[in-house]
Amino acid sequence: MDAALKRRLQARFGERLTAPIHQRHDQTEIRIGPGDVPDVVRTLHDEADFRFIVLADLAGVDTGSVMQVVYHLWSETSSDWLRVIADGLSREDPRVPSVTFLWKGAEWMEREAYDMFGITFEGNRDLRRIYMPPDYQSFPLRKDFFLPDDAARSPGAGVRHMEQSHTPTNAKAATLIRKTRA
Amino acid sequence: MTAMARSFSRLTLGGKILFTLGPILFLLTIGLVLLIAIAGKPIVDFLATNIWLVRFVVAATAVLLMSVPTAFLIIYMEMKIIALMNLRIGPDRVGPFGSLMSVIHGLKVLAKEDFSPTGADRLVFTLAPVAVFMSTIMALLVLPFAPGLFGADMNIGLLYLFAVSGLSVVGLLMAGWSSFNKYSLLGGLRSAAQVISYEIPLILSVVGLLLLAGTMSLNQIVVKQGGWFWNWYVFQQPLGALIFFIAATAEANRTPFDLTEADSEIVAGFATEYSGMRFGFFFFAEYVNVFVVSGLIVTLFFGGWNAPFPWPWPITLNIDPGSLGLGLLFAILIVPPLLILALAAPFYLGRSSMPWWQALIIGFVLFNLLVIVAITGWAFVSWNWVAGLMVFLGKSYLFVFTFVWMRGTLPRVRIDQLMGFAWKWLLPASLLNLFVTALALVVVNK
Amino acid sequence: MTAAPPHDHLHREVPSDDPRVQLDEAAGTFEPVPPYPPRTEREAEFYTLGDGEMFINMGPQHPSTHGVLRVVLKLDGENVVDLDPVLGYLHRGVEKLCENADYHHTIAYLDPLEYISSLFCEWPGVLAFEKLLDVEVPRRAEYIRVLATELNRILSHSLFMGWMALDLGGLTPILWSFIERDEIAEMLASLTGQRLLFNYLRIGGVNGDLNHDFMSRLGDWMTRATTQIDNNLGLLNQNEIFVRRMRGLGTMDKETAFRMAMTGPNLRASGVPLDFRRAHPYSVFPELEFDIPTRDEGDCLARYLVRIDEIKQSLRIIDQCLHNMPDGPIMAKLPRLLRPRPGRAYAAVEGPRGQYAAYVISDGTDQPFRMRIHDPSFVHLQAVGTLMPGHLIADAMAVMASLDPIMGGVDK
Repeated sequence: MDAALKRRLQARFGERLTAPIHQRHDQTEIRIGPGDVPDVVRTLHDEADFRFIVLADLAGVDTGSVMQVVYHLWSETSSDWLRVIADGLSREDPRVPSVTFLWKGAEWMEREAYDMFGITFEGNRDLRRIYMPPDYQSFPLRKDFFLPDDAARSPGAGVRHMEQSHTPTNAKAATLIRKTRA
Repeated sequence: MTAMARSFSRLTLGGKILFTLGPILFLLTIGLVLLIAIAGKPIVDFLATNIWLVRFVVAATAVLLMSVPTAFLIIYMEMKIIALMNLRIGPDRVGPFGSLMSVIHGLKVLAKEDFSPTGADRLVFTLAPVAVFMSTIMALLVLPFAPGLFGADMNIGLLYLFAVSGLSVVGLLMAGWSSFNKYSLLGGLRSAAQVISYEIPLILSVVGLLLLAGTMSLNQIVVKQGGWFWNWYVFQQPLGALIFFIAATAEANRTPFDLTEADSEIVAGFATEYSGMRFGFFFFAEYVNVFVVSGLIVTLFFGGWNAPFPWPWPITLNIDPGSLGLGLLFAILIVPPLLILALAAPFYLGRSSMPWWQALIIGFVLFNLLVIVAITGWAFVSWNWVAGLMVFLGKSYLFVFTFVWMRGTLPRVRIDQLMGFAWKWLLPASLLNLFVTALALVVVNK
Repeated sequence: MTAAPPHDHLHREVPSDDPRVQLDEAAGTFEPVPPYPPRTEREAEFYTLGDGEMFINMGPQHPSTHGVLRVVLKLDGENVVDLDPVLGYLHRGVEKLCENADYHHTIAYLDPLEYISSLFCEWPGVLAFEKLLDVEVPRRAEYIRVLATELNRILSHSLFMGWMALDLGGLTPILWSFIERDEIAEMLASLTGQRLLFNYLRIGGVNGDLNHDFMSRLGDWMTRATTQIDNNLGLLNQNEIFVRRMRGLGTMDKETAFRMAMTGPNLRASGVPLDFRRAHPYSVFPELEFDIPTRDEGDCLARYLVRIDEIKQSLRIIDQCLHNMPDGPIMAKLPRLLRPRPGRAYAAVEGPRGQYAAYVISDGTDQPFRMRIHDPSFVHLQAVGTLMPGHLIADAMAVMASLDPIMGGVDK
């Protein structure tokens, strides 16, 4: 636990934090509103006190009531992982500004979060599905994801198996008639 | 008789072949007999007056017939030698040490579906492998394998060879264009760029040699290199030989210049859409081409069928079996069984676990090998073309081995490095070679 | 009676003045252009052809895409103008699977992510769970973990050498490096029981103690490892064609590397000595001596050489582990059913490709509420978008090989 980092963070972002700074093991956690993400992240990245230049991870989270976007940052000024949580995204239309202006490498991680949670990252130039098919409609890692619903909506719904789609060429006439009647 | 009663479609594959080929052969035989009986004399007379026609047909047939085993042998070499370099075992199932594996590959491509992709230009797509294969085969026609053993001795042999082997790029381009596939197209264009660029240093590197030899006939070039091995042109034209070797590697599309079929970049290049025997033609042509290129290097720079020292042939062994009289008959009857027994005896006596019939089989095989070796050895020393052929093939396969070795060792160059190397290094070097040779000739002749 | 499946959007009307429709009509249906209107500006820009350009569809069955990756290349002749990687052919939904497995079972799901470096995929998950549970791992277990993972690192890097050469057209190095890989795989098989997906780390320790078979194999191999690796390197390092093709290719400077969120050897090849074994120490790495090899060039050759140097450092670490191996238990005392207190934990390790990380949220039940897996291959693969354009196809392959992505990890 890095108490100095906690003090610095408290001093710099005191009024923007939506929850008290939480520290456990080698992690320091701050929570901010989604609108503050670009400012806070840029400050963390640029200012000599922080210099969090490595984006270790970017993850979407569905807590069941709200959506979150979680950034993990590393800096040589601190021995802790800094976890920045953009908290309180609405579940109906989760929106958060993109961080691709700082880390171009966040682009695919944001695409993944969009693919899995439906979180829209404003400013990401290429926000489309990355793992799931482009015509897929559900968001699999949301807590309200329900597999039968998803199967009914998926592009594969109603597609017959390959064996069912052709009648055998050497089938007897009776079989053919039965198949056409069925 | 049941087989005859069955309808044709119900026959097995063997039956179908038998009942198709049998009648055809029968009719052909009858036709031939009738032809000879009716018009035998005029045909023979005609052929006797036009012996070049016979020679051409025989040579073409021989070259076609030898191309397939040559390809098989080189494919097997490539599989086995690269396997050993990779510390693998390689083919080891079919035939001794897996030596029939490439034959199985050949049968496999024959049995595959003859497939042409949607959107392909059928005619060009079908003709492309033929064009590639034919250009390679035609190049074989002028290679002097041994004294007196060549398809045709043209006084412009070398020119013909370059012209014909340059044709293969047309085939590759046809394949690349007609496949309706961008990988094929890229492969075809790459091969066109590559072959055309390397054709220039390839030809220029030989011009110095031509100045020295004063002839373009491959036979004459070989004859002029006779005697000791320092008469070979490689010692008078080392730079030319080096340039020729590199350019020939590129001409034959071999590693490190195998960009046309760079599998890690453009899948299989021009051959991406080919399967079955059409691909087989490309495949065979590539390996026959390796042999042609090796043979050409040997012919031009390494003395052709000349041995490295003045070969004292032909030695005539004065064996006259007829002088033995009735003894010859006895010898033929008695010597083989005796020798078989003599060869089998050590195995039978030396190994208590071996039954007598196994020892006899071993003895029989050894005896046959001995006879083959004796006959070959006799032919080798008494017929100069046999010796010449052996020397030529030995040298050629040494170069084939070098090509295989390079494939096992080197990575691939990039297309711009490839072109830059041809235009910036090989072309000036070959011009320099030509200039120095000409200057030396002028100085020496003065 | 069944209702019509709601995928009518597939048959959406496309305006006929759309350039892609004209393209389709001109060239048949073989263009790798998606059959729906572009969803983003980037997609619209990419799938519009300029003068003299063409698309080429590389993969998912291309020989050198390291698995089932599909890359749509926009080419001008042989020059790569732009590219659009299409992922998802190997997507298994590991994060979703982990949410429905209990903490012990999760480890088995982490294994096949990057099948070349399985232990490194398990490790961050296990570390994160240990943080959630406040478990103290016995020192012997930590040493065994370091020993096994460093062996896995060598395995991964020696395979990288082979692939790198194979993508440049060299046939032999891959088979030579497979000898190396096979010996280590056999070794780890006698330690863990499996050759590929080891499933060896456990929450609070490891699955089995060092055994005689493993130790004798390891001792035997260690005596000739350096010579053997140098032998393999001799094929490539002194090969003029190889060096000339790799040098100055796909250069990435320090700032770009940070901007691309790169870690591991790919970052160190750009001159940043960032290694989480030192930068954010975990396990027993503070007690071990090793250097962090870096290169300043940032090109493909540097990325290759950094990995080669890392093999040697890994050998050093293994040596120290064997000498300092303490006695004691290999597992912490833990209940069968784990119910950590609600909380969040993040753990990262330095793997052969970069930072492997896991982010776990617990809600007090025996299953993770959210399990986020961070894989370096996924992050590094997007760098091809900036590194490939402007190069020839052949170089594009070399660039991709030098980043060393494993599609199992990219597609999760």
